Amino acid sequence: MLLLSARPAPTRARATRLLPALALALGLLVLVGLVSVAVGTRSVPLDTVWRALTDPSSSFDDTVVLSRVPRTVLGLLSGAALATAGVIMQGLTRNPLGDPGLLGIGAGSAAAIVTGLAFFGVGSGQERVWLALPGALVAVVAVFALGSGRRGVTPVRLVLAGAVVTAVLSAYIQAVTLTHPEAFDSYRFWVVGSLAGRDPALIVETLPYLVAGFVLALVLPSSLNALALGDDTATALGATVGRTRLVGALATALLCAGSTAAVGPIAFIGLAVPHVVRLLTGADHRWLLPFSAVGGAVLLVSADVLGRVVASPGELQVGVVTAFLGAPVLLLAVRRMRGAE
Amino acid sequence: MTAPVTRPARSLPAAPPAPSRPVLRLGSWLSLPLRRRLIVVGSVALLGLLVLSLLTLALGSLGVPLPDLARAVLGDSDARTQFVLNVYRGPRLVTAIGAGAALGVSGALFQTVTRNPLGSPDVIGLGAGASAGAATFGLLLPGILPTPVGALVGALVAIGLVYLGTGRGFSSPGRMILVGIGVSAMATAFVQFVLTRVQLQEATALAAYLSGTLADRSWGDASVVWVAVVVLVPCAVALGRRLDLVEMGDDVADALGARSTATRTLVVLTAIGLSTAAVASAGPIAFVALTAPQVARRLARAPGASIVLSGLVGALLMVLADFVVQRGVFGSQLPVGLLTALLGGVYLGYLLLREWKKGTL
Repeated sequence: MLLLSARPAPTRARATRLLPALALALGLLVLVGLVSVAVGTRSVPLDTVWRALTDPSSSFDDTVVLSRVPRTVLGLLSGAALATAGVIMQGLTRNPLGDPGLLGIGAGSAAAIVTGLAFFGVGSGQERVWLALPGALVAVVAVFALGSGRRGVTPVRLVLAGAVVTAVLSAYIQAVTLTHPEAFDSYRFWVVGSLAGRDPALIVETLPYLVAGFVLALVLPSSLNALALGDDTATALGATVGRTRLVGALATALLCAGSTAAVGPIAFIGLAVPHVVRLLTGADHRWLLPFSAVGGAVLLVSADVLGRVVASPGELQVGVVTAFLGAPVLLLAVRRMRGAE
Repeated sequence: MTAPVTRPARSLPAAPPAPSRPVLRLGSWLSLPLRRRLIVVGSVALLGLLVLSLLTLALGSLGVPLPDLARAVLGDSDARTQFVLNVYRGPRLVTAIGAGAALGVSGALFQTVTRNPLGSPDVIGLGAGASAGAATFGLLLPGILPTPVGALVGALVAIGLVYLGTGRGFSSPGRMILVGIGVSAMATAFVQFVLTRVQLQEATALAAYLSGTLADRSWGDASVVWVAVVVLVPCAVALGRRLDLVEMGDDVADALGARSTATRTLVVLTAIGLSTAAVASAGPIAFVALTAPQVARRLARAPGASIVLSGLVGALLMVLADFVVQRGVFGSQLPVGLLTALLGGVYLGYLLLREWKKGTL
């Protein structure tokens, strides 16, 4: 599956090519952020946006712009978190289809939130964060417990265990939502994934999880590179496979729980962004991770803007837009693949 | 690029059965070696199915007492018994058996052709497509098509998209799974979008249907799935033999006359036919297609899941789930698909734990 080139690794040449590209991507990030603040039911020119952000007054335009800031920040953070988690998952499970959904994280958060809504009357608004994180962590622990055998955790077992946990939790969620209409009413608006009407306080509350996740992700790239060569080779190269899996799972859980609590489960960012970025950077995780983080942020916020433009004066939830954008991307990737057996 | 899970390559099948072993033959078209274990297990499954079916009809305040059942089935009974058999419980039971068998066989075919124990019709977007169709014609554009027909249309559209999306039809399982994931995600997002656009009551009703339910089935629902079972299961059995050859590698299969690409396409089409019929009659029911072949494989202790046995186990699972639902163990209003999802998930977890203890996998 992995072709080892006989040529010496062109690290420096790649760096001179990729560093400007990263700068370009960051520039794109800023631009998308500005557009997201400008576009909506009332659109504001970009120069007014800039003035409103740097020197806010109490004019109507400025109020509109500032009210869109939390939404945009949340989108940027969540997009980066989901894509980073996707890269880590794909590296950990050596599975190109790796997506945070795979470890049962989305289902764990959703099950915890539904439980809170139905049985304890909590889980609307900010309380979600406190439910989503333990839910995601419990699911990840369950997946690892199921997936670890006498000979340690193997990627195949992890994927299977993730499927099992997701299936059982989904059945539970359905059963609870079908018997508790009031919980279902709140759940159906959360599960679709949306950035609309988010409280600025949500950023402060989810930020610790996301930052912790990003920090853990920083130590992973070289271990993930080693892991790509297979467990035995990775061990021979001095990587501690077990610890990498643990740290990786923790990082993924933190990143996904934070973003899921904030904006709901959003499909495809974690799956599609690393695939597209890999075309640009190759398989080296030291480049793959930062590019994917930026790419995920750009994609999620662009999708949100698109949802506002397409369905104006209403809006299409960002989860719907990412699914409809992501599926064709996946399809194109599949078509370009040779020998996808 | 690999599918998430690959079964280790099978060793070459044993030499053709010795003449002394019993073989079931239907001309040159069909020949099945009759393994004793397979027959025993199959008979036990059939017996279990029969007992559960009788219990389903007999128990409860509306049930027909066992002594009267035989006469009642032959048409000699009072109006109340006839009503229970013809309207209330009969169609439901017959639909459950048919849908379970169709899903079991369909899953066995999918798992063999994709060489993936998680291979199931849902992997290529069938369930999600059916849900999207049901949401469209049930809620967004009510009155044009009945919801089950809408589900069928949705399933077919999803499969069509997957067929076009792979670029080479159904002959490449790896691509099929990948594109299926994409199509499923789109369909699921669409359903969730529709659920946010309608009144709570409508959304709840649709959510129940989307789990797959056997409530209020008619003989019409039952006949849809049974026509498919009667026509397609023999095709599946015949194709299964050719598929065994394809498993040995495309070159070998082609040399032996089992054209590999054509076989794979035919197998997928048969599997799709069976599972869409099940969806049309009972809604998108989770996990039976996935679990039944796994159970069958372990019962038969044979490397490849027997197709017929998978069907039997599927029917058994469905009738069992419906029995539990009707007896109201978990509350009376739960759709049967929820229970199959739960049972299937728990069973898969148990399998993992067992393999873990044995140190295999």
